[in-house]
Amino acid sequence: MSLAAIPSRETNAASEGRRSAALLERFTPLMLLTPALAIAVVFFGLPALTMLRMSFNLHVDQRLFVPGLTFDHYGEIVSNPLFRGAVWTTIRLALIASLVTVMLGYCFAMLTWLKPRRWRLYLMGLALAPMLVSEISIIFGWWMFFPKNGLLSYALVSTGIVHEKISLMYTEFAALVGLTYLSLPFCFFILLSVFDGIDRRLLESSADLGAGPFTAFREILLPLTRGGVLAAFSQCFIWTMGTYATPTALGPDALWTMGLLVQEQMLSKHNWPLASAFAMLLVAIIAMVMFVARSLSTRRIDYHD
Amino acid sequence: MIADVSGHRPALHLENVRRRYGGIVAVRSLNLSLAQGEFLTFLGPSGSGKTTTLRMIGGFEQPDAGSIWIKGERVDHLPPHRRDIATIFQAGALFPHKTVAENIAYGLRMRGLQKPEITARVREVLAVVRLSGFEERYPNQLSGGQKQRVALARSMAVRPAILLFDEPLSALDLSLRLQLRSEIKRLHEEHGFSAIYVTHDQSEAMALSSRIVIMNRGGIEQVDTPLGISRAPASEFVYNFIGESCCMPLVASGGEVRDRQGGAIDLKLHTPPREGEWRLYLRPSRIKMAAAAEACENSLEVQVGFVEFLGESYRYHLRAGALEFFCDNPAPHMPRSEIA
Repeated sequence: MSLAAIPSRETNAASEGRRSAALLERFTPLMLLTPALAIAVVFFGLPALTMLRMSFNLHVDQRLFVPGLTFDHYGEIVSNPLFRGAVWTTIRLALIASLVTVMLGYCFAMLTWLKPRRWRLYLMGLALAPMLVSEISIIFGWWMFFPKNGLLSYALVSTGIVHEKISLMYTEFAALVGLTYLSLPFCFFILLSVFDGIDRRLLESSADLGAGPFTAFREILLPLTRGGVLAAFSQCFIWTMGTYATPTALGPDALWTMGLLVQEQMLSKHNWPLASAFAMLLVAIIAMVMFVARSLSTRRIDYHD
Repeated sequence: MIADVSGHRPALHLENVRRRYGGIVAVRSLNLSLAQGEFLTFLGPSGSGKTTTLRMIGGFEQPDAGSIWIKGERVDHLPPHRRDIATIFQAGALFPHKTVAENIAYGLRMRGLQKPEITARVREVLAVVRLSGFEERYPNQLSGGQKQRVALARSMAVRPAILLFDEPLSALDLSLRLQLRSEIKRLHEEHGFSAIYVTHDQSEAMALSSRIVIMNRGGIEQVDTPLGISRAPASEFVYNFIGESCCMPLVASGGEVRDRQGGAIDLKLHTPPREGEWRLYLRPSRIKMAAAAEACENSLEVQVGFVEFLGESYRYHLRAGALEFFCDNPAPHMPRSEIA
């Protein structure tokens, strides 16, 4: 064939140059990734592995740990009703707080999205407020809000809703309010970004075709924000599972969470392997929830342009 | 109840409809009727109030005053989903998470139709817009033109009293725009729906409409058939807005017409202008370039400044005394010539 007879015009130098360019192109992303990857491996990966290893060590007398291999600590978490209870309490608190947070955050994000643009900055500022103050300061704030002589009691009595001063301090309710307050901003911003990706004319289009506001919500908004809802839920769940100061400071003394147990085993009981086992269990539960959320949010088709 | 002379209720009737945003009047006291099966176009520059009017008919904006009637029923207090209309939006506004069939079925489901009937109607309208077989596609698997055809099908499927078109072709490129324009025309001829169409593109308005409403600064300048609008523009604005025109500022005094610098211009007008300053408008296509020998009713000796090639014709930029204007002519230009 005549085509085959045409000699390659490419000189050796040019082809070599091209090959090295291709090589560079292939490895550039990897090289750019390296610093972040190194930090993740050194500061997160290795400690996590160390902790995993720690959870199998022995605990003898009052020594922090004794190298060895045992599953006793995991066994203890399962068999000890106190520990088992703490696991359930933590999951329950995190679930309720995340559900409430997602619902509140959803309404708030939707409001921000629907309102005219000039409102937006103020609403976003409001949503950011919990992040401006540290968790400890926020706890002090709640301490002035919930007790018998606190702001809430005063407001309820003076408006005549209740007749006697009440204290909601050191209740599970207070702990839940505290958790919700902390995780709301994260949830809000995740959901707002999802709402911002939706063409607002879809609502007009829906109304135009005869659907009322509730139908539009169920048929249009909810399906389009499902992925965002699940992401926000996972985020809240991670946050509320792991946080330890707020439920401890606002909840009742008997409110044992996994965070509290890790702290106690680590610092008071000097039982590092058991504390590590708790930490690993925490990681496992969160991983599981994220996995479920992920699998729920995969859809038949990626419909975004 | 609103009825015309023959006793038929108009598809749409607007009475003294007004709308302002803050201090800006968007629509001033609009009165209009749309007959059954009529294709009415609101044509005007941006900010003329045409889109606001459409949105008030659709229920997305509330009029400050006046009333809107659809098929004899007053609707201006009703939300969009309670009005018997369907809008084709600029970018389609198809639901991205629903298939083509589900998009079209949406309005039918809201109207409480049964499943077999919905399926039948979806198939029917898809055939009408020539998209049979696209039922299971998602909007992001369609081209821009196909999306607009699905939007059209979705609106037609519910068989509304009026179809509202909100610049449906403006997001498409030229060849597609022309193609879809013919498609809409064909559908209107075949199905005879009543439609309100909003556009700033006069060729769209001319090609599609039974009547055109020319809007400017929130008010109506002229309502007429496309032919009437182009033959007898009612105002200076309409004359300028429809088609191209050149403007000659003139001064009339003592039965003579002069340019602004006093140079005499030999013009014979059907109605001689009263004393004062005037602007004379001419269609560039109605000016003919000719050699000096050809005699005409009105002729001006001009100098050719420069020439543009427009594909079909040449555009000559001309000067006669203090007057500057242009004309379009298919012939090759001549350095000194007369026009008629």
